[in-house]
Order: sequence, then C-alpha cells, then structure tokens
Amino acid sequence: MSKPTVIVETSSDTPLVWFDIAIRGGASADPRGVEGLHRHASLLARRGAGRRDRAELDDTLDGLGAAIEIGVSRDSVSISGLALARHLDAVIDVTADILAEPRFAEDEHARLLRETPQVLDEIRDDDNALATRWFDWLCSPGHAYGRTSLGTEASLTRIERAASIELWKREVVADNLVIGLAGDIDEQAAARVVTRLTERLPTTPRPNQAIEVAPAPVRGRRVILVDKPDRTQAQLRIGHLCARYGETDTAALALAEAVFGGMFSSRLMQEIRVKRGWSYGAGCALRRSRLPHWFEIWMAAGIDVAGQAVALTLDLFADYAANGPTDDEVDFARSYLIGAMPFHVATARQRMQLAVRDAVFELPPGYTANLPEALATLTAEDVRAACRRNLRPDDAVTVAVTTADEAQQALGQANAGTLTRVDHDEY
Amino acid sequence: MTSSPAARWQLEAEAPAGRSATDSANARRYRLANGLAVITLLDKRAPIVALQTWFRVGSRHERPGATGMAHLFEHLMFGQTEKMPPGEFDRLVERTGGESNAATWVDWTYYRLSLPARDLALGIQLEAERMQHLVLETGPVESERDVVTNERRERVEDDVDGWLDEQLMAHAFTLHPYRWPTIGWMEDIRALSLPDIRAFYRTWYAPNNATIICVGDFDEPALLDLIAHHYGAIPPAQLPEVAEVPEPEQTRERVVRAPKPIATDRLLVGYKAPGQDDPDWAVLEIVSTLLAGCPSARLYRRLVIEREAASSVDAQLTPFRDPSLLRLAVTAARGHSADEILAVIDAELAAMATTPPSPAEVEKAKAIAETDFWTSLVDVDGKAEALGHYEIALGDFRKVNTLAERLAQVTAEDVARVVRTYLIPDRRTIVIAEPEDEGAEEDEDVA
Repeated sequence: MSKPTVIVETSSDTPLVWFDIAIRGGASADPRGVEGLHRHASLLARRGAGRRDRAELDDTLDGLGAAIEIGVSRDSVSISGLALARHLDAVIDVTADILAEPRFAEDEHARLLRETPQVLDEIRDDDNALATRWFDWLCSPGHAYGRTSLGTEASLTRIERAASIELWKREVVADNLVIGLAGDIDEQAAARVVTRLTERLPTTPRPNQAIEVAPAPVRGRRVILVDKPDRTQAQLRIGHLCARYGETDTAALALAEAVFGGMFSSRLMQEIRVKRGWSYGAGCALRRSRLPHWFEIWMAAGIDVAGQAVALTLDLFADYAANGPTDDEVDFARSYLIGAMPFHVATARQRMQLAVRDAVFELPPGYTANLPEALATLTAEDVRAACRRNLRPDDAVTVAVTTADEAQQALGQANAGTLTRVDHDEY
Repeated sequence: MTSSPAARWQLEAEAPAGRSATDSANARRYRLANGLAVITLLDKRAPIVALQTWFRVGSRHERPGATGMAHLFEHLMFGQTEKMPPGEFDRLVERTGGESNAATWVDWTYYRLSLPARDLALGIQLEAERMQHLVLETGPVESERDVVTNERRERVEDDVDGWLDEQLMAHAFTLHPYRWPTIGWMEDIRALSLPDIRAFYRTWYAPNNATIICVGDFDEPALLDLIAHHYGAIPPAQLPEVAEVPEPEQTRERVVRAPKPIATDRLLVGYKAPGQDDPDWAVLEIVSTLLAGCPSARLYRRLVIEREAASSVDAQLTPFRDPSLLRLAVTAARGHSADEILAVIDAELAAMATTPPSPAEVEKAKAIAETDFWTSLVDVDGKAEALGHYEIALGDFRKVNTLAERLAQVTAEDVARVVRTYLIPDRRTIVIAEPEDEGAEEDEDVA
C-alpha cells in the first residue's frame, strides 16, 4: 500500500498546530516551455475544493483563524497550514479537499493567468528579487533549476487547465507526499490527520520525476548587466553550479561557506562591509536542494564602487578556491556551526520543517540535524580539498542589476568576463 | 514589593506570558538600585537563551538635522570597547554558535543576542561592557557611516516601498518626530558629528534607561546575581526631559505623487490612528484585519479578486506609543490606476461606517488575532521581543495580555464607530508612485 512519509513533532507550549505537506516534484519538473505550471496548478487547487468555492474556502479558514498557504520550490510544492488546535479537524477537512477534490474552476484558472504577470511586475520593481531571478536563469543554462517557478510572459500563455488537472492527478498520490505535523498534537491525533488527508487519494505509485541537469557546466566568466534606470546601487550575484546538498562534501562545504560568507566574521563581510563600507551586507551560500545547485555570493554595492566590488570579490573567491580556509578559520566556523544547531531545532515547528526538507531531498532521517557530528570529524585539509574540488571562480557568472550607463564601464573592467547588457523587464 | 532571590533586586511585577508545559509561564520584572530593569521568563524546551537589551531611545529622541543618530548606534555598538578590539564582539558571539543583531524604531532601540544557554554569562559580560565602555573614534564611525548610507540606498533610494513609507510619514506628520525616518535623512547621516555621537551615547546608554529581557533555559537566581555583578556599579545617568510634541489635528487630506521606475501605480494611504495604548487601537487592529488581513478581507476581495484592479493589498496599524497611522498599501494591476483604487477604498470604508460588520465577520478577525498572538510567542526570541516592546513602548510588559483581552471584547458597533471616527479623508495622507514616462521630470507633486 502506498503511504506518505510522516513526521510528527509534539509540543504543547502554544495551542497551535502547523502542518507542511510536500508534494515531490516542484518547478524543476515543469515541462520545458510551460514554466510556471506547478505553481499555477497548486494555487488553483487552493482556490476551491470539495463543496466549497474559493470564497467559501477562504471564509471557512479565516473564520477558524487558520491559514493554508501554497509554496513552490525547485523540488516540491508545499501546502503549509496553521490552525488553533481546537479547530484542527475542520482545517484538515479543508486541506483534504484541496488534495483530493480541487475544483480547478475555469474562471479561477483564467483569473490566475491574468494575475501572474502582475507578480512578474512586482519582481521587476524589486532589485533584490530581480537579481535573483536573472541569476537563477543564467547561472547554469539548461539546468532544471534555471526554470523559473513563476513562469515567463510567454510560458504563462501555454498553461492549460487540463494540464493542471493532469499534474495534480499524477503527483498528488499518497506515496509522493511528505506530511509534517508539529505543535499541540500527539501521535494518535497525528495518525488520524494523516488518514484523513490521504484516504481519498489515488493509490498509484509515486511518479517518476527524472530531472534534467545541465549537460555540461558553462566555462569562463560572464557578466549579465541588467539595466534599470535611476539606481544608486548595483544588486550583485556571483556564482556557479556547485554540489548537491547531501553529497560527501556537504559538511566540508558548510564550513567553507561559513568562513567565506556565512557569518558576520566571514571574509566577505569583513572585506566588503567592515573594511570598505561598500555594501550593507555581503555573504554567500550553497543553495540546499535535491540536485546540484548554485554556490552564490550576494551584495548590494554603491553604483560608484560596483566594479571594484566585483573585482575584489572575484579575487577573494579565486584565492579562497585555490587555498581554502586557514586552520583557525575552520576551527572557528566549526564552533559556530555546531553551536548554532540548537537554534535551528529549538521549536517543534523547526524540527518538523527540517525533517520534511530532508525527506524531500531524499536524505536519511535526521541528516541535517546530525550534521554537527560530521563537522566535528573534518580536518582543515578536508575543507581545503573540498574548496578545490567544488569552487570554480573561473566559471563564475556575475549578475548586476543597476543603471547600465553609469556602471557598464567599471563592470567591464572588473575581470568578470564577457559582458551582456539586457533590459530589466525583458525576462 | 517583595525581595527577590538575589538580595539587591526588587521584584516589581509578575504576569503570565504565554503558556508552558514544563516551566512557570510567568514573566517577572526586577529592578536594581541604579534603575536597571530585568524581565525574566523561563523556557527550557531547548538549551538556548534570548538575551535582549532594550533602551528607551529611538528616532523620536533625535532632533531635526541630526536624524539617524539612534539607528547609527545599532551599528556602532558592535565596535571597539575599552576591553575589546574591533570585531571581537562578533567573534566572541559567533564562536559560541550564537547570533547578534539590533533594531531601531521610533520609540526604542534593542540589541539581541541569541546564545547557547551555557554562554549566557558571556552575553551579560559583553552587554555590560558596551553599555559603559564603547570607544567612538573617527575611523570606525566613518566606516559605519558608509555602511548606513548603503543601507539607506538599498532600503529607500532603490526601493519604491521604502520611498513610499518615508514620504508617508514625512507628510502625515508636521511637528511630531515620527515625521523623519528611523534610518535618517541622507544629508543628516553624512553630517552627524563625532562630538554629537559621543554625547548621544553618554546621554541614553545608561542602566536607568535600559531593560534586559532574558527568555530561555537559565537559573533565575544565578542570572540575577550575574547581572548585579556586571551592572551593579554602573551609575545611572541624568536622563533629559523629553518634551512631548503633540501632532496637530489633521483637518484635510494630503496627497503626494511622484514618478518612479516601476511597472504600475503604487499607493500608500495613512489614516491618523491613536497610539497603541488607546482602547481604540485594538478596534482598529480588528478593522485592519477585516480590510486586508486575510484572504476573505473586504479590500482584498474587492480589489484583487472581483475587480482585478490590484495585485496586492496590505493593511498595517503601526504599534507606536503616540498616535500614528493605519496604513493601506496597494499595488495596482496593469491598466488600473491609484485613483480608481482609492475610490474602491472609500466606498468600502463608507459601507463599513454605516453598516456594522456581521458578528461572524468580527469573530473571524478575533480568531485571526488569537492565532497571531500565539504565533508571536512560539520561540524565545519572539517572547523576548513581545515583552520588550510592551515594556519600553507602553511602559509595562503586562500589556501584552491587556491587548489580547481588548481584542476579544471588540464589537461590530465598535468597528463601525472607529471607521467613522478615524478612517475619513480629512485625516489621511496619500502617497502615490507612478510609472515614469520616458524623459519625464522626476519632480514630486504635493497637494
């Protein structure tokens, strides 16, 4: 019998219950040219299910003081809920309807297709979000994670209601779900909730979700200059396709990330912000996902120093990739990361969310919570070797959202590679 | 008053703050002879503590021409002290696995340490050190000034929402210090002088202007002993009298328009509202939820779903000590204008003013408020922030419970009454950002 993966974390310190239902798949499984399909289907499912249309569904949840929200990542669609414990059964009834009997109403389908381009507008108005959108698209062309979860003006025109229904039928099966429950709920009540959520779902096997990875990494440095008028800063992203979270090097890369840009004491923060005052913040992260994802550096430098900031960052990155952290830096980062873990698992909700994420990434139970054990055994040389294996400053792409006429010359001289200028609203 | 476990402390107040399966859910306020207050709340679910130091100084305590001073300290306080070289504060905290941060708003500034429980003593030592012995020299001050100007560029100059927010406050208030932005005007940030910065520190960073909040896994008598040891000898400061500057009654609508590089109109409307301690504040909180605080909210339904005139609508009642604003923020959909949206807002408010909402609609907002209340108390940081805000902005942490009780008592008639009283055109300020035309002048238009 097909069963979901279930995670329960009990705590009665508030009369609240959280639930996260992850449907494996996500934006990376959108068909090429129909980007945005998973987002569209899941939002549509939330807009009317069972005997309730959209208005009735919203009235019911709001009347209970509850919320159900849809999220779409590269790897999954999530239905996240929050309810007062005394109303949990009623909220679960609504959620079970969304999973099993979404209406996919014609009028809501058409309305959502009209709404989504407005979200694109809001991203274009927001330099930070815009830089991320362009970086995701062009960091590793051809990689499934370059597929926007929101869609594009063109791909949205190809989304059909029938495809949404078909997607839901195929992916919303018990075997493809990860269900997390946390808060004022015990194991017995959780078991009843899981039954209620899944009893009407198809018992078909979990769908095959082979994802395309970029055929070959792009070589050489590149700059994408995203031109937007009247900017006083350049929102910067620098990075490349890197390792998968859960690979052998994960723990070593966590230390490497912390030393280079994961703490206030990190190299980037010290060089960019503390010594030079060029940016309010500067950091880096290896994106956590099921497949290999980006190593990404970010900052927002004043437009007058954007070129210098990119040049310095690339120099720092090249030195770091070649030589890695010092022994002292590794000891410091290890102390930080091990000491920080209790903050990430302090509440029942946090523990549940980490476990759900690990399950979606197909990692062993407790993988993330147990990372400190792996960190404790690593040597500084292990971390330096992981830097040499995984960091590729010579293939870094730089995305800069700024006013091109003022920044182009300096960015062109930043040793960041071939420069392509685009308009901020063309993607 | 009764004696506390540590003899030098006086227990001043005790009240529930949330609930706990394992610990006393009572928060307690103690005070030391030099005026330093400490609020404690046990939460032993995880081996961590939230240690926050709140100061009764925010942007309202600045003067015109020197705005941004309180916020600048949010940066400077992580710098060199007499006993610690530059950067040492962050290194000591990060080595434990902990994190530090700070926040400044109109009524307060607070410094947040999240620490493993075993490192609580280090946190207290660090906070006591920087309350007394911060070193303010030209080099580090200039470096942080550059960082703050970049923060301002990121959050205001290059962010249309930040610009709207700043313009709203600047035009809604004519005399009250709420009229200037917490981050400060750019020209003021650049002009703050070192002597003024030092004077600000000496004036406001003192035990009798501070409250330490500690929530988490600790032993209370040991905590009080530690704090007494590190803070007990710090003398109180002569705190200046802060002149109250009442904002004159607003009697006509104010409108500001300016072109921006955006795709569609953005609208921010601020209606004059009472301070958070006023009984009507709770009623307006319910109104805010009914207008735009949930998917079934009235303005969301009218503007986003039915008319498709907006892509987003949001309502916020600012939790300030003095009268402030109920704000409605709307992003227009393609092909729709701010003026069209404003007409819908007016119609909806008129309907609410004449016909009270149904009891079910009011109960809905109360249920959402109950969920929000508990959500704010889920973790140790959230609990500490709630206690700190009510203690500093409203004078008593126990008001966290008072507000919850007030929300539960709101009636449909209350809702109609406050809409008629507060949410009227003469009491509002409107800021509109419009997509700029090619070659258009960027002048601001104020009516």
